[in-house]
This record gives sequence, C-alpha cells and structure tokens, in this order.
Amino acid sequence: MPGGSPSSGVYRALTVGAALLLCAASAKAEATAITHGTLELIARDQWIAAGHTLDLGLLFQLEKGWHIYWINPGDSGEPPRVEWQLPAGLTVGAIEWPVPRRFGTGSIADYGYEDRVLLIVPLHAAPTLAAQQSVRLGAQVKLLVCSHEMCIPGKAELSLTLPIQSQPPAPNTPTAELFAATRKSLPRAAPGNWKFSVTDANDSFVLTANVGRQITQAVFFPLAESQIENAAPQKLVTEKADFRLTLRKSEQLLKPIDRLKGVLALSDDQAFLIDVHIGKAGAVRNSGNGRAK
Amino acid sequence: MKRSTRFSMLLCPMLLCPMLLCATLVALVLCAAPPPIWAAKVGVAAPDFTGTASTGQTFRLADYRGKYVVLEWHNNGCPFVRKHYNSGNMQQLQKQWTGQGVVWFTILSSAPGKQGYATAQEENDYLAKMQAAPTAALLDPTGEIGHLYDAKTSPQMVVINPQGVVIYDGAIDDKPTTDLNDVPGATNYVSLALRQAMAGKQVETPATRPYGCSVKYADATH
Repeated sequence: MPGGSPSSGVYRALTVGAALLLCAASAKAEATAITHGTLELIARDQWIAAGHTLDLGLLFQLEKGWHIYWINPGDSGEPPRVEWQLPAGLTVGAIEWPVPRRFGTGSIADYGYEDRVLLIVPLHAAPTLAAQQSVRLGAQVKLLVCSHEMCIPGKAELSLTLPIQSQPPAPNTPTAELFAATRKSLPRAAPGNWKFSVTDANDSFVLTANVGRQITQAVFFPLAESQIENAAPQKLVTEKADFRLTLRKSEQLLKPIDRLKGVLALSDDQAFLIDVHIGKAGAVRNSGNGRAK
Repeated sequence: MKRSTRFSMLLCPMLLCPMLLCATLVALVLCAAPPPIWAAKVGVAAPDFTGTASTGQTFRLADYRGKYVVLEWHNNGCPFVRKHYNSGNMQQLQKQWTGQGVVWFTILSSAPGKQGYATAQEENDYLAKMQAAPTAALLDPTGEIGHLYDAKTSPQMVVINPQGVVIYDGAIDDKPTTDLNDVPGATNYVSLALRQAMAGKQVETPATRPYGCSVKYADATH
C-alpha cells in the first residue's frame, strides 16, 4: 500500500476481516445435525433492540421421506418441544405453526411437516435492556422424526448469539426474506364478514361457511387432539358461495365440546384460524355477526 | 275373562320365563343409564377374536369371560414402546396384574417386513430377554385383531371387564413422550381402570388419545 509499511496494511486487512467475521457471526449459528436432517436456530435480523420483538426461527431441513409433527400431531407422533435458556430481560412467545400437511392413508393420519419448515418464535426484549455486545440464547429441542416405517426420537442443543442495541435494524437479508415468506403463509384470522357455524350432527360435526366466493377445496385441522377422526375424509359440499365440510367425530371424544378451533385451509396459501361455537343440529348460528342463518 | 285371570296370564309367562323377566329388568336399567354419546369403543362388547401366540398356542378372547383382560399393542422398535420396556414399566405392569388374575395379551399387528414384526422365535427371544410377563404374545401380522379394535398406535391399551365389555381404550399413561424419565411420575391409565373397576367403581378415565408410533399395518402408507 503506497505510503505505508507492509505490516500496517496487513494489520488493517486483518482488522477489517475480523470485523466482517464478527458482523457475520453476530447473529449466526450453524445447523445442527438431527436424525435424518438438520436443525438451526436463526434470527430474522442481526440484532434485537430493547423494547422490541425479533422473530427467531427453528429451521428444520428433513431428508426425503421423514417428517416432524404439528402442535396437534394427529393419531400418532409428538410435536417438537423447546426449552429455552434466555438471559434476563429476554422472553419468548409461543411457536407460530405453519399450516400442516396430513400424512397417512388408511385408518391412521397425522399432521406435520416434511422437507423444509421454519417454526417462528417471537423474542421480546424488555425496554430497560441495556445495549450489549452479544448475549447467548440457548434452546434445547426434543423432537421426534418419523418416516412411514419408523420413528426416531432426538435432542438438539442449539444456541445463538445476538447483540442488543437501542435501535432495531433494517431487515435487509435473505434470512429476513425467509421469515417474511413463512409469515405470509401462516394461518391468519378469518375476515370479519365471513360466516362460520358448526352443528353437532350426531357422529359428525358439520362446518358451514361462507367466504364470499366459491371454493374448490377445504381441509380442517383441529388444534386440539381427539376431537375429529383424523383419517376420515372430510366431505365437502359447495352451493355457490356456501360450503359444508363434514368432520367425523373422534372415537376418543367422550364429552360434548363447546367450540371447534383450528386451521381451515382453502387452498395452498389460503389458511385461516377459526374458532366456532358448536350449535345443536338444526340450530345454525353465526359466530361472525350474530345473525341466524 | 276375570281381571285376576288376565293378570295372572300376563305374569305367569314372565315368572315361568326368568330370562324374559331378567331381560326386561336389564333393558329398563340400560334405558335409565345415560348412553355413552360418541365413544364408539368404550362401554361396548369387546369384539371376539382368536389369536396365535408366539408359543404356537391359540387364545380366544371369549374363553376369558369372567376375567379382566388387557390388550397391549406392541412394536419393539418404536421409541414409545421402548420407553416402557427399557424402564421395566411394562414388565412390572404385566407381572403385577397377571398376578391378580388379569389376562394380558401383548399383540403384534405389524405386517411382515415392517417395524415391530416378529417371527414366533424372535418374539419368544424378545420376551425372554426383556423378562416380559404377558399371558401370551399374539402374532397378528395380517392386522386382523388390530383392525378389529381400530388400534392406531403402539403402545395402545384396551381393558376388558369380566362381562366382556371394554372399560378402557387409549394411552398407557398421561405422559405422551419417548422419555424414560416421564415414566415414574405418570398416571397409568391401565392400572387406574383395573383398580377402579375391581373396586366396583366407575372408571374415571375410560378413553384417551393413545400415544405412540402408528401401527404398521399391511395396507398402510403411514
């Protein structure tokens, strides 16, 4: 470098290189091997700001033929369970579950994910948290990975180091795009003008809905176990903008339930969280605007 | 006809036919009791079956009327099953309850080539190695018995009373994990059902979601 001794140039290069490494390392972790896949704890942004929320994510990449389970695993299996080790001033919210897939034919059906799935977990930083170079977040994940032939339990110890700053960063990374795409596909609350009702039809629940347009497919994933027969086909009947979905009751459902809560998936990227009161057969009631049908 | 004659004509057949009287009384009692609304599996007669044990002996459920019977769906490769065998929990339950006159059938409904399938010799070796103590391990590779009871997972437990009625169907306990550490603190639904029924009490928890690996039936893709 002109005007400087060779050693100062090298020193500068090393410093810049180290800084770059540190920047890169500030919100980075390596993927941990799990049975038949990898798991990584990632963050949407490079740091978290005091008083703000940052999306963390458990990024699963599973080998072909293997899957993990949804919050309601269905007839068999077990969803991943996470235990967090967080420094003071940081707390996490619940996992935000993407729309699951239904696995299995015959008499046994489960709900879960294959290939790649990001389970978003929001991280909250207390407003009083002082700026820090980096804090270490730990997550111990117990999981069950299954193929149609077998299940293998596993445990993964994950960690992520994160700086705490006073201002949030501008989300500007490929990781942020992954989080945005996942967030976009999460089940969302149904629009207020949509009408839903559920009637108790002896051995089934019948979900009647009007979503303002004719639909061609609908699948209901209950959030709670043992409410519907997971393997039973869900018969769909459409009448213009109205549709009826018949959900066979579970044989483990011993007591009457008040409400049916779960994910109604209308097509590949149209999934809604619904929470509908169950009325008696013949007494169809609107959970939306209170008007009887 | 005199009224008294008509009355005695009605009563006489009932007295002469105690079964008719008995059936009438039973019908009245059943009508008075609240029906189990949706639980298709509990409170109904346990479907009869005949199974061949790993010893070669055949066992027919109907032959055990008058005894409590436990059915245990099994797959020795499933981590949920291993939790109960590696901890010694299942063996201890088998010993405890067969010691009290309960008939215990371990049932293997995995199809040949699928996890949990065992030949008679393999199953006998496994029983010896694990020091398991069921009355018999029934080999059900066609899944006939499994489908009869709509067994979905291994383990899955069914308890049948001496009258041949299913009084429990579902999970072995209330900790649906593969973790051995969850065995000691768990509420065991099988023991609970047997203790309550034997004491003449109502079974508090007659049905739960069974937890485990899916039963590997012949026709299943899952």
